[in-house]
Amino acid sequence: MFSLREALIGLRRNGVMTFIAIGIMFFSLFLLGAFLWGTFNLFGVINLAREKVEINAFLRESLPQKQVEELSEKLMSMVGVESVEYVSKEEALKKFQEEIQDAPSLIEAVKTNPLPASFSIKLKDGFTSPEKVKEVSEKIKIFDEFIAVEYGESWINRLDKVVKILFLFDILLGIVIGFASVFVVSNTIRLTVLARKRTIEVMKLVGATEKTIHAQFILAGAIEGGVAAAMSGGLLYLIYQVSSKFFVKFYFPHDFIIIGTIVFGLILGMIGSKLAVKTTSKEMKFESPNV
Amino acid sequence: MIEIRNVSKRFKKGWYALKNIDISIAKGDFLFLTGQTGSGKTTLLRLIYMDIFPDEGEVAVAGFLSSTIKEEEIPFLRRRIGIIFQDFKLLKDKTVYENVAFALEVTGQSGRKMREKVMKALTLVGLSHKRNDFPYTLSGGEQQKTAIARALVREPFILLADEPTGNIDPEGSEEIIKILQEVNTAGTAVLMATHGVELAKRMGGRFINLEQGQITTK
Repeated sequence: MFSLREALIGLRRNGVMTFIAIGIMFFSLFLLGAFLWGTFNLFGVINLAREKVEINAFLRESLPQKQVEELSEKLMSMVGVESVEYVSKEEALKKFQEEIQDAPSLIEAVKTNPLPASFSIKLKDGFTSPEKVKEVSEKIKIFDEFIAVEYGESWINRLDKVVKILFLFDILLGIVIGFASVFVVSNTIRLTVLARKRTIEVMKLVGATEKTIHAQFILAGAIEGGVAAAMSGGLLYLIYQVSSKFFVKFYFPHDFIIIGTIVFGLILGMIGSKLAVKTTSKEMKFESPNV
Repeated sequence: MIEIRNVSKRFKKGWYALKNIDISIAKGDFLFLTGQTGSGKTTLLRLIYMDIFPDEGEVAVAGFLSSTIKEEEIPFLRRRIGIIFQDFKLLKDKTVYENVAFALEVTGQSGRKMREKVMKALTLVGLSHKRNDFPYTLSGGEQQKTAIARALVREPFILLADEPTGNIDPEGSEEIIKILQEVNTAGTAVLMATHGVELAKRMGGRFINLEQGQITTK
């Protein structure tokens, strides 16, 4: 209890230092949290785009129903296939008409139904890369029942490139922001410990053990880091609420962003303090104006 | 209680801060350590509270030996000695009372017994009426008295004083010396480093003079 009380007294009586330290940590943890949030949403968008990747396999005219069903089962049993949806000639026409409803003259022009029935095949996660899609579609082409197999090759290639660039950029940015926040937070904590060097000196002087000396600074660091992180998490949540109400509804994994930021702040505060107080205490020789 | 046996301490290669020192301090002694600035007084005190260790010889304090003491045992040695400095080393963000109580609290003491000990120490140095004041509102003499109370609150067997009157006006200095004498009369040994040989002679105490790290008068 002594350590907790001393930690709180120290934070309160060195108010300006505490305020500045929490402010700096709040800002760096906020940046880190915002980056994480952005990353979640970026990958959400990428997943949405990937879900749109599908193979369309067009069937020959007038295949018996039984053969179509057997074919569907064969496709389902293929490696990498998530789902198989049969699109009949009528459904294909209906879809086409919906797509061109802004051009009524075109609809009138379509008197008969030239569209073939098809299978719309969705792929599992991990099978949406250009190479895998090509591989699966080549296997589908082997069946004689199909007249054509398409999967929007150029679109998938472009998506893949964009995803790779975004992924690389995100990792680089993550490393920079991660390191920067660890650096800023640990140095800020170090400064608050150094500002209270006299306390460490006096504690050593009157016979406090290293454990006792460390305890109050680790607690103070945890409080500073925790408060700063809670504020960052709170502000991110507020931004999420406001943007959901007035602009776009982003994906916001509460547990990960809020609890993650707080835990990270706490741990960083504690480890930062522990290292700072350990070094300061070890290097400390009683400063004296005399020789 | 304190044995310094043939101790030498080098800070730079070939430069001795202390050379071949032999001192023995018994219970209830009052000893002045005199000498010019740079003669090795502070180094000798630091060896006693084991902030530094001798390069040759050995220091024995209350059963702890400089050659065998472990790092984690040093706090327990410090609890048996009181130390005061020229610059007081008080915590600015604590009141007089809190500064003194701090010395007991860091070792887990609390409650009524602790409060009584703190008040006893403050009464001894004549500062009980200023217990709620912060150090920056006090004179140099009063700050040193607070430091003395903090050093005494653990009832040490010896009080090490490193130029305790260095930052205090003559009137305040007299008071500090008087308090140290009272402390000594009550049974605590006092080792006071000062560059005032005259003061030591006038007080009539036993004194050791250091010159360039060596004892010239015992």
